[in-house]
Amino acid sequence: MFHSFDNVEATQPIARADWMALLSRAPLDLLESAVGTHWPAKPNWLRAPETGLMMVQGRAGATGERFNLGEVTVSRCALRLSLATPEVGVVGVAYALGRSHRQVSLAAVADALLQDPTQKNLLEQTLLTPVRLHLAQQRSQREQAAQSTKVEFFTVAREAGAPDEDGEEV
Amino acid sequence: MSVQDLSQLGAGFSHEGFGSQAVFRVALDALSHPGRCMLVLHDAQTPLAGQPAAAALLLALLDSDCTLWLSPSLAGSDAASWLRFHTGCQLVEQADQAMFVWVAAGDEMPALDSFSQGSDNEPDQSATCVLDVAQMGVGTDSQKHWLLTGPGIQDVTHLAVDGLPADFQSQWAANHASFPRGVDLFLATQNQLVGLPRTTSIQLSGGL
Repeated sequence: MFHSFDNVEATQPIARADWMALLSRAPLDLLESAVGTHWPAKPNWLRAPETGLMMVQGRAGATGERFNLGEVTVSRCALRLSLATPEVGVVGVAYALGRSHRQVSLAAVADALLQDPTQKNLLEQTLLTPVRLHLAQQRSQREQAAQSTKVEFFTVAREAGAPDEDGEEV
Repeated sequence: MSVQDLSQLGAGFSHEGFGSQAVFRVALDALSHPGRCMLVLHDAQTPLAGQPAAAALLLALLDSDCTLWLSPSLAGSDAASWLRFHTGCQLVEQADQAMFVWVAAGDEMPALDSFSQGSDNEPDQSATCVLDVAQMGVGTDSQKHWLLTGPGIQDVTHLAVDGLPADFQSQWAANHASFPRGVDLFLATQNQLVGLPRTTSIQLSGGL
């Protein structure tokens, strides 16, 4: 759900895989306000939005054997966007949890636009930074909720010299 | 999974279900009427490499459970990434491990018996081969052509094919003889498809 690069410094150029990971978790209203106006009149689909199931794998304690955790609903799409700079047009790809085709389509548009150097800085400000902020908020809320259930375990140190219950020396 | 360059990739069928069903219907008709030239109508943006009818056929037939072997000139081309992207099929290096085989027109066709033949118990496990050919049509008396007989053919079907290896007919005779094992064939041009199931036998007509 949360990644280390979510809090990356804005001065560092962001890689495509990283912004795609951000876009896949971007809420619809943020996407709509940032790239809604770029929505093409007639989208050139390579792969129209589709919803299906994907098996999620996990590791116990993030280190153990891999096991199948369960299936999640995922929507995906790929489209070609005509931009000014590359003549062939760039391809935007997006995957997102859930069934919202609009969300995943806009994420794909954002992915395509971010590949255009002239649009990248603007989108960084209008979309990626708010998404990072949103994820940071979500994270702190979740941490607070978890914090309230925290239990402190502690043991009372034995008095020095007292024999063990079993009678063995420690 | 390797990263693909999607910038040159064409779209698949505009409607995945209807598009592939329409092509599947053509493939079904082609196999039930061996040797009859079938017109393939589709709206997919087929890759530059390979014959468009072959690409559309494979787009309709393949899914992520299928293994595909591509002849050398197709393997590195946009056709490979196009089929990988749209169907999720697995590309294999060895022709005998593939459930589907696609051979481009310029490439040397591996011997038919080098493909997966199925077994007597499971003849359906054999490979389905798609061969690109330069052109084909109903044979006329003035040219050498094939006389096809077998299930699905009332009397005899005439077929002239241009662009197959010279020893194709003897390979096909062996393939036909190994029934119930053996491969099924599709011949493809730009927009035509001909089905040659393993039950069809080929004779050469005289010509002038």
